[in-house]
Amino acid sequence: MTPAIREAIVLPAALLTVLLAGSIRIAQSTVFAPPSVFALVLGLLLIRVIVQSGALAPEQLLANARSAAANLNGLAVLLALWLASAQVLAVLIPESGLPRIVFAVFLLILLINTAAAAPDRVRLLRSLSVTFGALFLLKFVVLRELSAPGTSGLKRVLQALLEGVTLGSLLQPPSHVATSYLALLSLGLFLVAVFLLPDRGLERSEALVKADLQVRTTPTRR
Amino acid sequence: MSAAPRNDGAIRVAGLVFTVLYATLIGWLFTGQPQTVAQITGGLASTIGAYSVDQQSLADGLRFFRNDQFVEARMAFARADPAIRDARTQFYIAYSYYRQGWGRLYHDDALYGEGLAVIDRAIALAPAGRLVVEDENLRIHSGEELKAELEAGRRREASDFNPMRVFRERK
Repeated sequence: MTPAIREAIVLPAALLTVLLAGSIRIAQSTVFAPPSVFALVLGLLLIRVIVQSGALAPEQLLANARSAAANLNGLAVLLALWLASAQVLAVLIPESGLPRIVFAVFLLILLINTAAAAPDRVRLLRSLSVTFGALFLLKFVVLRELSAPGTSGLKRVLQALLEGVTLGSLLQPPSHVATSYLALLSLGLFLVAVFLLPDRGLERSEALVKADLQVRTTPTRR
Repeated sequence: MSAAPRNDGAIRVAGLVFTVLYATLIGWLFTGQPQTVAQITGGLASTIGAYSVDQQSLADGLRFFRNDQFVEARMAFARADPAIRDARTQFYIAYSYYRQGWGRLYHDDALYGEGLAVIDRAIALAPAGRLVVEDENLRIHSGEELKAELEAGRRREASDFNPMRVFRERK
């Protein structure tokens, strides 16, 4: 795959598909939900971590030496990456109640912590896969199963008890199973897109991480 | 000059066009919130002027409407305009809610409410918001008149208790 095809077609198509697939919420009616302002802020943090790890080299997308069309392609990739990052994080945050607040705060802390840890490209991709996978299971398997309408009397009783104990703040609005598949597609495609981003290369990335750590550990003179 | 950079340039421009079109489609889906595949395809077709209502279903709907079979009329109108893009068909749907909800002693608020939502949509769909339907079987011909009639039907006023209201006629 040539850089032109990757930057002009493959990456924008993949990232915009992440945005679209992640926005679809199928319940009693279908909703195309754009990412919230908070998700857009989290998306910026995620891009910062991606750049810091060397998984994305912005200078390979926007530079004076590149043609105008190439720079426009680079800009489109960066904007699409921002929106897609925000959308995958929005997909992982539950729709309502206490879990929504807990997941949002957890993601914020996790991204700040990842930025402080300054992982390299490979470690970041592993970390994102594990985090996304775990949050996907929590939201689309555990919470969804807890919130699904009870089929047996015992389940309905347990659900009523759970709703009473948590003052209705835990259970989520019911969603169609297709929403879960679309969310999984969105997450998987996002990881593939991050893998395909023009990276800094291993040596340069390690050098940047080392330099970053050195700056942090060097005591400042008063 | 080698062929590769020329190809790269063409690929980059084609990619930009594709990206803009794809992003526009997503933006349209976010703002329009279509609920069915028919609404998506109809909406896209109407943006290039290729959308048209099913004339046979529209004729069926009008026949039911004139026979005061309003539920059947709405089903036929929905078939005629599945993408909800035709202002005239939506006007008839709103009118069917008005006629079905109209009563000498009281009006059905729920049906009038549905009618208001539909007439708002119809006015939004009409060019420059001007919706006029020339049909000699109707006594209301414009979107504004129908909307005013539906809103008046939902208001609680002193005139509601006027016994002379039983002599009023349905439009």
